[in-house]
Amino acid sequence: MSKKILLLSSVIFLSSCAATSISELGDKFLDLINPSDTPTEVTDLGEEVFIAYDDSDGFTFEELEVLSNDELIEIAKEKGLEDMLKIDADGNLQNREQIINALLEAEALLDNATQELQSLSNDALIERAEEKGLEDLLKIDADGNLQNREQIIDVLLEAEALLDNATQELQSLSNDALIERAEEKGMDSVVVSGELKSLSNDELIEIAKEKGMEDILVLDADGNLQNRNEVVEALTDNLIILDEDGNIQNKDEVIEALREGAEETKLAALLLENAGITSTLYFSYDDSEIDEVATRIIIEHANFMQSNPSFNLRLEGHADERGTREYNLALGENRALNVKEVLGLYNLEDRIVVVSYGEEQPILTGSNEEAWEKNRRVEFSYY
Amino acid sequence: MKYIKFFILFGILASFSANALLEVNIIKSKEDSFPIVIAPFEMIGNFQEDVDLAKIIRENLNRSGQFDAKSTNQLTTGPIDFDFYLKHKKDAIVFGKIRQISSNVNHAEIYIYDVLTQKPLYVNKLAFTNGALRKTAHALSDVIYYALLGQKGSFNTRLSFVTVSNKKNNGKRTYRLKISDWDGKNEQTIIKSLYPILSPAWSADQRKIAYVSFKNNRSDVFVKYVFQETLPQKLPKFDGIASSPSWHPDGKNIALTLSKNGNKDIYLYNFESQKLKRLTTNIAIDTEANFSPDGKSIAFTSNRTGQVQVYIKNLKSGKISRATFEGRYNAKPAYSPDGKDLALIHRVGKDYRVALLDIASRDLTILTQNKSDESPYFSPNGGMIIYSTNRDNKGILSIISLHNNQTVELMQKEGEVREPSWSNYSN
Repeated sequence: MSKKILLLSSVIFLSSCAATSISELGDKFLDLINPSDTPTEVTDLGEEVFIAYDDSDGFTFEELEVLSNDELIEIAKEKGLEDMLKIDADGNLQNREQIINALLEAEALLDNATQELQSLSNDALIERAEEKGLEDLLKIDADGNLQNREQIIDVLLEAEALLDNATQELQSLSNDALIERAEEKGMDSVVVSGELKSLSNDELIEIAKEKGMEDILVLDADGNLQNRNEVVEALTDNLIILDEDGNIQNKDEVIEALREGAEETKLAALLLENAGITSTLYFSYDDSEIDEVATRIIIEHANFMQSNPSFNLRLEGHADERGTREYNLALGENRALNVKEVLGLYNLEDRIVVVSYGEEQPILTGSNEEAWEKNRRVEFSYY
Repeated sequence: MKYIKFFILFGILASFSANALLEVNIIKSKEDSFPIVIAPFEMIGNFQEDVDLAKIIRENLNRSGQFDAKSTNQLTTGPIDFDFYLKHKKDAIVFGKIRQISSNVNHAEIYIYDVLTQKPLYVNKLAFTNGALRKTAHALSDVIYYALLGQKGSFNTRLSFVTVSNKKNNGKRTYRLKISDWDGKNEQTIIKSLYPILSPAWSADQRKIAYVSFKNNRSDVFVKYVFQETLPQKLPKFDGIASSPSWHPDGKNIALTLSKNGNKDIYLYNFESQKLKRLTTNIAIDTEANFSPDGKSIAFTSNRTGQVQVYIKNLKSGKISRATFEGRYNAKPAYSPDGKDLALIHRVGKDYRVALLDIASRDLTILTQNKSDESPYFSPNGGMIIYSTNRDNKGILSIISLHNNQTVELMQKEGEVREPSWSNYSN
C-alpha cells in the first residue's frame, strides 16, 4: 500500500515537471525525496524511479515529511504501528511527529538487521538459516553455493521481526497476565521470600523436590548440595519465582521460556507458507472422513515433520455450530484423530497431540453455509 | 400472545461484575393461568434493603406460566372488597407482612383468601434471615405456589450459565461462568477466563459446579466450590480429552466423557477412591451423559448407529437401550425430576429444537420453533425447561413453561449467554 502511495505522489510530481529534462529531473527528484542516496546513473527513468521509491530501501525524514496525514496513517498501519496512532473523532492524525519518528526508528532497526545479514557470507547465511530451522528453504547447488540468498535474507528478517513482536507483546503484559500466561503453558510457580540466591541449600533442595526437579540435585553422602549455582539457575529458568507480594522475580527468564514456544510456532507457519503447504483441512457436515485431497495435504505435513524433527504438532479439531456443543467437541476430536492416524503411518504419532475446540472457536461467525464450511476444520499448529 | 418487555435494573453488590446484567423479556401466555392478586406487603421495622416483595412474587408466579398475578392498592388494614375481585374474575388474593423481630430475624406472615368463598385458604407465619429479602420473596413464592397448586415451585433456586463478551482482548473474548437467582438477578461471576467455558453442572447439594474449561489449550473438567474463595480443582489428568460432566445425585461420583486412545466413552469418577469406572465401551462417540434423579441410569448421546441418537444405560443391569426413534438427530438429554421424561435437542429439517421425550411411550413433543436451541435443563420442580437459543444472531437463555409454553427470555445487552443449568432447591 505504501508503495502505491509513494508511487502515486511521484507520478504527480513527475507530471508537474514534464518540461524539465530527464537528468535534471533525476537530480531534483532525489534532492527532494532521498538526498542521501545518489544513483550511479539515471538512464531508465521508470525503473530507477520505482527503485528510488521502493520503501524497502527505507524511509527518510524528508520522504515522510511531505506525505499527507492519511498517507502516513496508511503506512503506519502497514508497519504495525496502528496502536500508536492518535486519531480524533474526525479521523485526523493528532501525533504526526511521533508517528514519523516511530517509522524512522522502525526503519533504522530493520536497516541494521538487513545490513548485518547482507554482510554475511553465503556459508554464514546458510548456518544462520539452519539455526532458525529454515534449512528446508535453502537452495544449494552441487558446489554447495547458495542459490536463493535474497529470499533467505527476507525470510530471516521476517522471522526476526515476528519474534521481536512476540517479545514486545510479552514484555507489555502486566505481572498477573504474565503469570497467567506462563501457568497456562505449564510453568509452575513458587513464592520465595527474598531472592532465590539468598536461600539456604536446604530450602533450594526442598523447592526442587516439591516441583519435581530433584533430578538436577547433586548431593553428597551427607545430603549436602554440591551444585548450588546450577540448581539456582535451573529453578530460575523453569519456575515462575514470585516474591511475597506476588511479583515475578525472574521476568526475563519467564519471557524467554514463553517466547521459545512462540518462536517455533511462528517459524513453522512461515516455513509452511513459503513451501505453499496449507495448514487447514475442511470437512463435511457431521463427518470426519479424510478424502483424497486431505490425504495429499497430510502427506505434505508428514514430509515437513520428517525434515524438521524439532517441531512437534498440535492438531486442533473444530466443528460448525450446528448440533450440541459436547457432541461437537467429540466430533472435532475425531476429525483431528483421523488426521493423526494418517500421520501415524509415518511413525510421527509421538510428536503429535490432538485437541478439540468443538464449535467454540469459529473462523467465521454467522449461521450460514459459508461460515459452517469454513468452521468444520482441522488446523495444524506446530510448536 | 402478548409481548411485554421490561428491562430490569437492579443494584448488585459492588464487588460483582457489573458489565453485563441480564435483561428479561416475557412472551406471555394467559392461556390456562390462575388469576390472582398479590397485595403490597406491609413492612414493619427498619429494613436496609429496598425490595418490593410482592412485585418479586408476582413476577415469579407470572413467569412460571401457571399464574396471572396482578397488584392491587388494597392493604391488609381494612376490610377486603371481595366483590371487586370477583367482578374482575380473580380467584384468590394474597396478603403479606414482614415484621422485623431482631437484627437477625424477620417474620413473614402470609394470608391467602379464596375470593368466591371469602374464606382463608392458607395462613402461615415463617421466619427468615434479615438482610435477605429477595431470598425471602423467592421462598414465599414457593409457599404460595404450593398452597394454590399443590406442587413445589422452583423459585428459590439458582441458575448457572456462561456469558461471552463481544469485545476482544488480545484477539480473545472473555468468558464468564456466572450464577444468578432463577429470575436472572443477583448475578455473580464465579470464573472469568479468556478461554471457552462449557457445560457447567451443579452438584445436588448446590455447593459445587463442575465445568469444562479450555484454559490449558484442551478441554479439562474442573470443580469449583461456588461459595468459597478457593481455586477450581482440576480433576486428575486423564489420558486424552475430558468433558461433559454430570453429577451423580450422591455428589461423590461424576460422569465424564473421556477420550482414551481417541475413543470417546463415558466414565464414572469417584471423588473418594479417585478411581474411574468405564460406563460405555462402544467405538462410536458416547457423550453428554445425564444421571437419572435416582442415580440408577444415565441417558447419553451416541452416534453408534451412524446417526446421533439418545440412549439410556441401566447402571445395575448394564443394559443399554435406545431412547429416541424419531428423526435423525437427537442429543444432549436431560432427565426430568420425576425421571419419566427427557428434554433433548431434536433436529427438524435444518433446525435444532428442544423436545420432550416420554421415555416409556417414546412420544416426542417438539416444544419450540427455533433454529438452534442447545443445552435444555429442567427446573427442579419439572414445570419449566431452560435452554439456550439464538435471537437476532445473539445467544440468549430461554425458559419455557411446560404448563402453557409461555417463554421467559434472559439476555445480555452486549454479548452472549449460553450453557444454562438449574440448581436444585436452595437449602
